[in-house]
Amino acid sequence: MPHVVTENCRLCRFTECVAVCPVECFHADAERLYIDPAVCIDCGACIPACPVRAIADSIDLSPEEASWEAVNRERSAALPLITKKEPPLPGADERRAALGY
Amino acid sequence: MQKVDRTVLGACPHDCPDTCSMLMDVSGDKLVGVRGNPDHPFTAGRLCVKVNHYEERVHSPDRVLHPLRRSGPKGSGQFERITWDQALSEITSRWRDIIAKDGPTAILPYSYLGTQGTLNGLNAGDPFFNKLGATISERTFCDSGACTGYIMTLGPTPGMDPESFRHSKYIVLFASNPMSTNTHMWPFIAEAQKNGAKLVVVDPVRTRSAQAADWHLAIRPGTDAALAMGMIHVIITEGLTDRDYVDNYTVGFDELAQRAAEYPPERVASITGVSPDDVRKLAREYAKTQPSAIRIGVAIERNSNGGQAVRALSCLPALVGAWRKPGGGILQLPLWAFPMDWKNLMRPDWVVPGTRVLNQWLLGQALTGELALDPPIRSLFVYNANPMVVAPEQAKIRAGLGREDLFTVVSEHFITDTARYADIILPATTQAEQFDLMFSWGHLYLTLNQPAIPPQGEAVPNTELFRRLAKAMGFDDPQFRLTDEELAARAYDWSAPALQGITLDRLKREGWARLNLPSSDQFAPHAQGGFPTPSGKVELKASMAAIGNFVLDVFRQGSNEFQDGSPVDPLPGWTPSDGGGARFPLSLISPKSHAFLNSGYGNMRRQLAHSGEQHVLIHPADAGSRGIAEGSSVRVASAAGEFTAIAKLSEDVLPGVVQAPMGYWPGASGGATVNAVNPARFGDLGRSPAFSDTRVEVTAAG
Repeated sequence: MPHVVTENCRLCRFTECVAVCPVECFHADAERLYIDPAVCIDCGACIPACPVRAIADSIDLSPEEASWEAVNRERSAALPLITKKEPPLPGADERRAALGY
Repeated sequence: MQKVDRTVLGACPHDCPDTCSMLMDVSGDKLVGVRGNPDHPFTAGRLCVKVNHYEERVHSPDRVLHPLRRSGPKGSGQFERITWDQALSEITSRWRDIIAKDGPTAILPYSYLGTQGTLNGLNAGDPFFNKLGATISERTFCDSGACTGYIMTLGPTPGMDPESFRHSKYIVLFASNPMSTNTHMWPFIAEAQKNGAKLVVVDPVRTRSAQAADWHLAIRPGTDAALAMGMIHVIITEGLTDRDYVDNYTVGFDELAQRAAEYPPERVASITGVSPDDVRKLAREYAKTQPSAIRIGVAIERNSNGGQAVRALSCLPALVGAWRKPGGGILQLPLWAFPMDWKNLMRPDWVVPGTRVLNQWLLGQALTGELALDPPIRSLFVYNANPMVVAPEQAKIRAGLGREDLFTVVSEHFITDTARYADIILPATTQAEQFDLMFSWGHLYLTLNQPAIPPQGEAVPNTELFRRLAKAMGFDDPQFRLTDEELAARAYDWSAPALQGITLDRLKREGWARLNLPSSDQFAPHAQGGFPTPSGKVELKASMAAIGNFVLDVFRQGSNEFQDGSPVDPLPGWTPSDGGGARFPLSLISPKSHAFLNSGYGNMRRQLAHSGEQHVLIHPADAGSRGIAEGSSVRVASAAGEFTAIAKLSEDVLPGVVQAPMGYWPGASGGATVNAVNPARFGDLGRSPAFSDTRVEVTAAG
């Protein structure tokens, strides 16, 4: 039961989570981030760090969100590691506002 | 998320080296969340999988909130609510009867570090039970064997500052998996790695930390002492010692060299499973890459050679001069940096000479009568502990607790498998509801925990529990009228250099303070020797061995009587332990689990979800030869007992080794957990448990 990055990350990629992660478990594509469940230690540091509340303990996911577990597992295995904070994607602030944060 | 009215500076209460500065968010009278303090250099803004959502524990509907009295057969779980007065009256009248008939030693306190605060933790009940004259509990749950070995070699020194690991160039973790059980130290190790340090993990299992290491040495359980002796052999025979450091700051080098000659790499390889070339490579790299650091985890002591493993490992930094710089040395237990006033905490002056001492690993034997005790144990008082989960010989403990004539009192948060057998259950506060001052055995900060919310129901902190018991027993000593703040003031030597500039008032404002010691960038207390041993030097040959095997008095209520006393080899080494024979061919290790804290959280849905069902890790080759499939139910049996678990096939364990994490509650795990198979055997020093020497067989459950 790992932690997962959910929908809100898409088109934001604030990467605050990467800065606080003690174990380097984040992987990235052009749109968003994913957590490698084999490396994540479930410390939860990333949850409050995310400006758009995109990260959750998978036990707190609704049934509709449960698929994020598989998405994070599969995509993290295929994508490169991200270990340093990067600038958010263009338009991230607008999306954040649209998400209500 | 609920509105936060205020945030209170607290401290994580658990038996973990990290002792986090914990921010407690309160809404009204309710704890609504906890967070790691971002201002604290070690906590660094995060807690962990165990303690995140502490509010779910505090406000769990399963909390015991009022005194309860058994209303059905022993172990039936049937209880009725009573008042505190009724509970105290029943406890004291039963105890007075027992004392009149059999004397006070028929009463046994049983506790450890369910909370490890200075006031409510290790020694919380010692003044009361010493005054009562009860049997003295020898509590060697954790690090006692390592402490004995370490202190014989280096004395009670903090050794290294864990934060100084960022300056290490070569780091070897023995029996330590910080990613799971010391997670706030990990960033300092990772920083060193980023700066070019090599990280080596010596562990029978490819743990999370081993996976992140540059080099994982998969070692057979219980053979670390042999590997350390092999390293010493190579370092000495290849001339890799720091002669100047050895000449000036050690004693017994020639004798150690002679002993180490018995451990050439080829012999070490046959014992440990680590190849001769790897033994040489490890020794050479460790010696030549300065500053080099060794971190030993609690698991190092859990075998019949564990104490000598700590002795050998504690010799190594001096041989190569690792102590000369920050980032070099060995880290065991920096608790010794805290100037505790243990006598005030324990009141050993009240121990009546001749009062017997009982090691707590022997609880099952003591309660069932297998251990000949005169008088037998008539009453058991449990607090800060859940022996049904954490102690070996689970079936014997259950049988003992089931004795109708045993009067058992348990102070708890929940009706645990132990509390289920109680005659009286008393409600205990959580950390959110109590005041405490926290030392640490994993960093150099003192942390104050201030209550965030009122006690839930009629729960009381241990300090208040023992004030009430003392009053009910008619003990009128002023000790039992001390307030929590007065107890805190007396628990430390505030005039000691390490506490200069630190006061309770400052801690109330700021929550935590680093001890008044050099910064981690300069922390090298033994750059020029100065070890607190009898000789003032590293005792490669230990003079303290002359007194025989012993347990530090802080683990035995301040008493020094009836110590083990068996002969101790003054030189480190490795001796074969008993094999399991053909019947029990597999070595079982039962480490602390990732999401539980000993037995804590074994009943919480979140931590259970992270842990999954009770399982045993087994190598595919061992599973294949036994017809065991991934995910199938298996029976794990030893000479002591058995439990069932789900098999997880993995090459992360060595062939011949199986691993089952500790912490699952038997009542929710098919009736038995891993301590059903662990025997009550002691390691070689300090009466550590020998859990990593357990021999088992695993079979498909029918």
